[in-house]
This record gives sequence, C-alpha cells and structure tokens, in this order.
Amino acid sequence: MKNSLIALTALGVLLSCRFDHGSEKEAPYLRWVGDIEHNNAIDKVAFTICNGEEQVFQYFNIGEGPVYKNEKPTILNTFHSQYKSVEDTNQNGLIRIRFIVNCQGQAGRFRLIQSDNDYQPFEFDKYITTQLLEITKRIKGWQILYKDGVAVDYYMYLIFKIKNGKLIEILP
Amino acid sequence: MKIFNLLILIFISQFLTAQPNCEVYKFSGDTLKYKACKKAMEVSGHYQFSKEYQTILDEAIKIDPTFDYAYWAKSIAYLKSGDFITWKTLIDKAVELNPKEHLGYRGWCRYQFFRDYKGAIADIEKLDSLVTYDIGQSQNGTYHLNIAKGLCYKALGENEKATTIIENQIQLNEEENFVGAYDYLHLGVMYLEAKEWKKAFEAFHKQSEYNELAENQYYLALTFKAMGNLTDYKSCLEKAKQLYLKGSKMFGPYSDPIDKIYLETIEREFKAINRPD
Repeated sequence: MKNSLIALTALGVLLSCRFDHGSEKEAPYLRWVGDIEHNNAIDKVAFTICNGEEQVFQYFNIGEGPVYKNEKPTILNTFHSQYKSVEDTNQNGLIRIRFIVNCQGQAGRFRLIQSDNDYQPFEFDKYITTQLLEITKRIKGWQILYKDGVAVDYYMYLIFKIKNGKLIEILP
Repeated sequence: MKIFNLLILIFISQFLTAQPNCEVYKFSGDTLKYKACKKAMEVSGHYQFSKEYQTILDEAIKIDPTFDYAYWAKSIAYLKSGDFITWKTLIDKAVELNPKEHLGYRGWCRYQFFRDYKGAIADIEKLDSLVTYDIGQSQNGTYHLNIAKGLCYKALGENEKATTIIENQIQLNEEENFVGAYDYLHLGVMYLEAKEWKKAFEAFHKQSEYNELAENQYYLALTFKAMGNLTDYKSCLEKAKQLYLKGSKMFGPYSDPIDKIYLETIEREFKAINRPD
C-alpha cells in the first residue's frame, strides 16, 4: 500500500512536470509506458523473466485479446468465491493490479493503483486491496502466450470495480 | 525474430493512430500549432508505449500546450496498460481543448476499458449535443457510438431505453449498409431478456446471415428453450459449441465484449439438459 501511494505521488509529480512548460525537468521514461522494474524490497527474487527485460510484451500484443488459463470464468469464480465484501458506502472505484506473466505462466512484480469513480487517486480500505492482491498472487498458472512458437513474457492486469465495498466487475 | 515482432507491432500501431494534417494549421496561420504538429509527427516509426514516442509528444506539448492531438496520442499507452489515472488526466486535457474531436473517443474508452457506463453515456450524449453530423463509430469500428450508448443504458438497467436506441441505430445502419458485427446479436439478447421471442428470433436470424457466432446460436438456443422447443434448443447448443471451438465467437482485442460467452457457459447448459428434474 505504501509503495503504491509513493508510486502514485511520484506519477502525479511526473505528470505535473510534463505539463509545466516552464520546467526543464523531463519525465524519466522507461523502455515502455508501464514497465515494472524489479524491486528487491517487494518482489520475489525467485520470479524471473525468460527473454530479457527488453522483450516483455503487453498481453494484447499477441492479438488474442485478454486470455486466461481455462478462460475468464475461472478467474471470476476465483475472486467471487474468495473475496469477502466490506459493507461500506465509501468504498467505490477502480483497483488495478498489474504484473508480469513469464514464459512458464508464473506471475510476479505485482503493482497496484487505485482511483475513485472519477479516476482520481483514492485509497481503498486495506482489507479490500490486500485481499485482491493476495488472491491474485495465489493464482497458479497464467496462460502462456506464444509468438512464432516461442513462449514470451508479457504484462497482464486485472481491474476490479468496487461498489460499496463489493466486487461488481473484473476486467479486462 | 523477437526484435522483428516488436517492429511489426510498431509498424501496425502507426496505422491504428489517426494523424492530423499539419498543413491545415499552417494555412490557417497557426504557426505554433503547425510546429507542434510537425514535431508530433516525428513519432512515426515509434511504438505508442516507447519512451521515444512519449518524449516527442512531450516536446510537441512544450511547443504548443494547446495542441490536443499530443495529449490524446500520449494517453493511449496509459489506457492500454490499464493506468486509468494517468489516462484520464491526459484525455481530459485533449477533450478540454477539442471536445468535438475527443469526446466520442473518451466515451468509448470509458465503456470498453472500464465499463464506466454513466461516464460513457455522458460523453457520447455531450458529443451529440455539440455536433450536427453523425457522431460516428467507436475507435475500433465495431460499433456506432449510439449502439455503445444503448449497451451502457442496458448495463444500468434501463432496458427499454437501450432497446429503442439500438433499434433506431440499427435501422440507420441498415440504410447505410453498415451494420456492426454484433449489432443484431445484442438486440436479440435484449428481446430475449424482454421475453419478446419472435423479435429475438428475427434478430438472431439476421445475425446468422450477417456474421454467425457461437453467441448467436447460444442465445438462440435459450430462446428455443424458453419457448419449450427442446429439440431446436439442443441443436443450437451443439452449433454454438462447434462455432466456439472453431473460433467463430465474439472478440475484443483489449477486453471481452458484452454478451460474450465462454465454453463453460455452453457446457453448463449441456449439463442442465442431462440433469434430472
């Protein structure tokens, strides 16, 4: 949670710099928008990517749309059966958990952002975000995607729509 | 080979991004926007997600902070990576500067990526109020924006309003001979849910003729089931499964379309057939 807040704050600063035309400060972009660098403090060392940092795709680069092992209902059932709702009318908005799936279908480098329904940064109750993050991390075996017969590493994300503390939709 | 694949992606992405005609700004005497536009065109050959692409657009914005195209173009990678906060900041700026150009896009994205039904409706209706011409298609060309708006109303539970909107737009689409790939299917599902069986059959029949899909046969099966015709119900379910396994099913490159089914959906119906009452 703390890291997510720091990341959001940093993002806000970066954007304000980009729009501040009197500033010389430039945004330090990585290779691609949204690239997730390994962070020893929060990422498992055991998780490795197969084809190098420069060759991590986005899930949609393969042209198959969002693909889930055993299809999307499996993911939906996993969350709807394990997530315990919080009855709170103040808990509304979007939570995105993004991560890398490696060539063996393992996931790592999980990152989380949160907003209210107006897309403004918002901090959900930790009971909600921790649950979603832990359920996501426990999912074993993501779909292995191939390019020209080669298993690739790719970025995947799940967006959770929360209404009054209840999980009402999972995207994409 | 891997590098080649990335280059292919970059190449394809260029054709998916509409580019402005910089000369228009030159002829209208807006030299600042002309310079910003020329700078922005240097993104050609760079992938939307790349730091080169983003940096060039930052430079274009520095030249002219009112150049809406640059904000829009920057926003795309954030949208596709699911970063709704940064995306919204950028696309809002583009809409603020040029609402007629970007409201339809923002509305469509709110629906397609975030199922933000109210936000999508607000944007599409706002655009409709600003222009006298046809508000046009969704960014991916799958739907007329009014069809997307109808689907949003349906998601919000306003079924009658949704059906009317979609009926009217399909009629216009038929006149233009430009019916969307899933238009009849969505309408058929609405009729099915409203228990208007005859209209549902007609819509699914049209969808079959236009673009046969596993979903179409699946919902047709449910219609037969509701009518008590179990023979055709089973037959349509079989067809739905065959079509699904063949790959003739609804598809979205970034997210699953509304009314999409999965193999499990069909198998569940088969299990229901075999389950004793």
